Amino acid sequence: MSNADTISLQKGSLEMILLALLEARPRHGYELAKLIESESGNKLQFHVASLYPMLYRLERKGLVEGRWVEKAGERRRRFYRLTPPGRRALGQQRRSWREFAIALNRLTGFSHA
Amino acid sequence: MPDWREYVRGHLPQLHVPPERESEIMAELAAQLDQTYTESLAGGASEADALRRAEAQFANWHALAREIDAAEARFAARLEPSHGGMLAGWWPDLRYAGRFLRHNPGFTAVAAITLAFGIGANTAVFTMVDPVALRSLPYHDAGQLMAIETRKAQQPELEPWTSILDLRDMRAGAGAFSAIAGISPLWNVVLTGLGDAQQLTALYVSADFFRLLGVQPALGRAFRPDEDNGTQPSHVVMLSDSYWQRQFGGRAGAIGASLALDNASYTVVGVLPAAFRYEGEPLAGTAGEVDIWFPLSANPLAASPRGLRFLKLVGRLKAGVSPERSGHQMRALAATLAQKYPATNRGFAFDVQPLRAQVTGRSRVAMFLLLGTAGFVLLMACANVANLLLARAAARHKEIAVRAALGASRFRLLRQFLTESFCLAAAGGTLGLVVAFAGLEFLKAAAPASLVRAQDVHLDFRALAFACAAVLLCAVAAGLPPAWHIVRNDIESTLRGSGRSLTAGHHGLRAALVVAQVAAALALLAGAGLLIRSFERLLDVDPGFQGRNLVTISTQMPAAARTPAQRTAMYRLIHDRLLAVPGVVDAAAVSRLPLMGMNLSARVFIEGRSTPGEPGADVEYRAATPNYFSTMGIPLRAGRVFDDRDDANAAPIALINETMARRFWPGADPVGKRLKLGDNPALAPWITVIGVVGDVRHAGLDTEPFAEIYRPYAASPLGAPVLVIRTAADARPLVGALSARVRSVSAEVPAYNVWLMQDLVDRSTAQRRFVMWLLSAFALTALLLAAVGVYGTVAQLVTQRTPEIGLRMALGASPAAALMLALRQGVRLAAVGIAIGAAAAAALAQLMRKMLFEVQPLDPAAFAAAALVLAAFAALASYIPARKAAQIDPLGALRRDS
Repeated sequence: MSNADTISLQKGSLEMILLALLEARPRHGYELAKLIESESGNKLQFHVASLYPMLYRLERKGLVEGRWVEKAGERRRRFYRLTPPGRRALGQQRRSWREFAIALNRLTGFSHA
Repeated sequence: MPDWREYVRGHLPQLHVPPERESEIMAELAAQLDQTYTESLAGGASEADALRRAEAQFANWHALAREIDAAEARFAARLEPSHGGMLAGWWPDLRYAGRFLRHNPGFTAVAAITLAFGIGANTAVFTMVDPVALRSLPYHDAGQLMAIETRKAQQPELEPWTSILDLRDMRAGAGAFSAIAGISPLWNVVLTGLGDAQQLTALYVSADFFRLLGVQPALGRAFRPDEDNGTQPSHVVMLSDSYWQRQFGGRAGAIGASLALDNASYTVVGVLPAAFRYEGEPLAGTAGEVDIWFPLSANPLAASPRGLRFLKLVGRLKAGVSPERSGHQMRALAATLAQKYPATNRGFAFDVQPLRAQVTGRSRVAMFLLLGTAGFVLLMACANVANLLLARAAARHKEIAVRAALGASRFRLLRQFLTESFCLAAAGGTLGLVVAFAGLEFLKAAAPASLVRAQDVHLDFRALAFACAAVLLCAVAAGLPPAWHIVRNDIESTLRGSGRSLTAGHHGLRAALVVAQVAAALALLAGAGLLIRSFERLLDVDPGFQGRNLVTISTQMPAAARTPAQRTAMYRLIHDRLLAVPGVVDAAAVSRLPLMGMNLSARVFIEGRSTPGEPGADVEYRAATPNYFSTMGIPLRAGRVFDDRDDANAAPIALINETMARRFWPGADPVGKRLKLGDNPALAPWITVIGVVGDVRHAGLDTEPFAEIYRPYAASPLGAPVLVIRTAADARPLVGALSARVRSVSAEVPAYNVWLMQDLVDRSTAQRRFVMWLLSAFALTALLLAAVGVYGTVAQLVTQRTPEIGLRMALGASPAAALMLALRQGVRLAAVGIAIGAAAAAALAQLMRKMLFEVQPLDPAAFAAAALVLAAFAALASYIPARKAAQIDPLGALRRDS
């Protein structure tokens, strides 16, 4: 898979990835960027410049909620948590991806490992 | 460690979100950068590497801002309230405006400084004009106070003074007034017995003067009616607050103290309030401060005859009496007195005018001219800022369109632009106060006392209120036209995607603004030109005497010197004592001195010309000592001047001036001709003309000389001579010694109205000079503002038409043709402005008519010079950007267009 293909795939999937990363617990932007980088084995390199606009878009849609949190001894950070509509949207997207992957599998002989 | 918050603020283009949200986003981005940086450092990276890693995260700030704007679109829409009233959301507007101005520091500085000068100059001029021309007088029920003046019908320009006997008749005969008070000229008295002798400035006033004004003494009492009821002088005085502080340290013990003034003893009975100052004449238009107040009865002229007019009058109207009715009454009284005392009162009328008009009369036109001019300049500054805003608008149409697309109403956008212009104007106003402060210091130093009383002029609450009003005016005048224009045109044109047509639309409005600026500048330049030419003419006027090294002192013969012989002897004594002062070259006496605003006239009957039985012609009459003409430097034109042979016993003789010679003996030699003086020629002796002397501008440099006749002092010795003393060098250091020498003759001989003759000459031109300078300065500012306006418009035009010019050049047009194309545009604007401005200048010149001297309001030279200067500036202002047009690279220009 070429680099360009990865990028176009990433773009469409970033929304779901962010929602998924926020499913377990609230996280701040820096942590999200780090996670995407490390969890994907550096395969997915989201530019921070697109991370924040996406977070704002999700927030605007009411899928996540940002809140400033200040902990003793740490810098002030904006934590995002999943809202109930966000949780529903994540479930919906997972279903769509699954269906999409199955259809892809059938058509291309690509087998999900 | 870098300040990442500042870093983001400096890099992130303005977002179209509420300021709170924007600040939140900036904080979050800064946190991201900060953490990347610190973790890189912690991971062992060098500081430079850490910095690079952090900065690499947001390489394209513009793209980031666009994405955030797109993501936040719904928030932005929420920011534009569709409801919530006129004032909802003003705070975000204000912060947004603040950010816009901060992000455009060059534009903000130029606009704010332009407005600062406009607002500052206006505030300074307003502060100067305010206490003199705008404020009401600080007396009880000041609207009822009237100035009563004795005017000579044929010579209204003469200073109106009233005799003490006429004052008494007015009191008896004018029922319209509840009280009328007389006020003497400013008088110098000498205080002895308290350390060194001091010269104090005094006024002699009627006993009811303070009661009439509604002024209560701060300490002690005012004069009692019985202290001013006839010829018996009352030896009481009142002190001004400043003199009381100075002499008595503000101690209450001053009341009852005895002061030796002009060798007589006076008792202090009262002290006036610190805030009290008499604004009417003789103090109106001067910086004079009175130290000490006497009852009128104590004045040496208190028993003077009806012909000696030396008082200013102020009266209080009875309740319910109109100024018009009091005027009728006074005119009727003047007619009665003229019949009763024709020798002294014929041809004199009593005028009644509000005291306020007297206070401001002399300078009102000049004051309002300056205020109007300053206002003009402010409007021009506004036009320049409006032009700058329009130029900025070309760069902002995308932003406007985005906001409009996000649901902002036109009103909302209009308000945003007005908020920006308000912020600019407020910044300009704040700076303007500094400019006003400096300007005021300059005005105080440069303005003549007749226009500015330095002690009353300071930036106060009223000045601040005025500056605030000016800020609001600027905000609307500079902000509304471009705002409305942008909002009306941009939304549609930008949404249609025709960004270029909108700048062309702006161009029409900008051109109109520039035309208006050029027109205003021309009006001011022509006005200044008229004043400059008037002043030139005035300086060319020969006053008829040599004013340098000349001192003048008014005095009064003692009561004991009644006969002509006694008066002549007394005058000799004064004359000899003055000559004994080292440095004095000569001393002489005359009945009325030039430029002091006093005159006396007589009827003349010319042998062989006048018809017996008919009233003679009116001429000015003076009595002078033989050496008066040489002392003053008045040239002899024919015959001889008086000499010692011309005493009381000699055959009656007279000198006449050139105007009189021309008027009564045109083309003939008047020497040896005979005339008679007085109302009854049949009884009067023939007087032989022995010589002709040069004309003297007695009433002022700007007033034509009258026909004048001089009689020898010895033939009619003066009761109140004016002494003129010529010194070898600068007379200023001698003034004190000279007045002391006059007083030393007798305790009854006063010395007052002490002047350097050159000061009188300068004073007569000071106001003109000042108004001329100030108006010229404003006109110059206007010229520069107009030039900047022309420059900006032509520069914009060149930028806008670069592709077209490029195409023309590619098709073979020469650079010179391109230059002409741009130049023509600027010159055309200037020409239209000049044409409109000429009409405005003609109107302004009519308003200024009173201030012109020997120059027609439509003086072609002044108008032509103004138009030429303006045209030259406009051509230069167009040439600079036009040259750029000539240097356009055709290929580059075409490529840019594609």
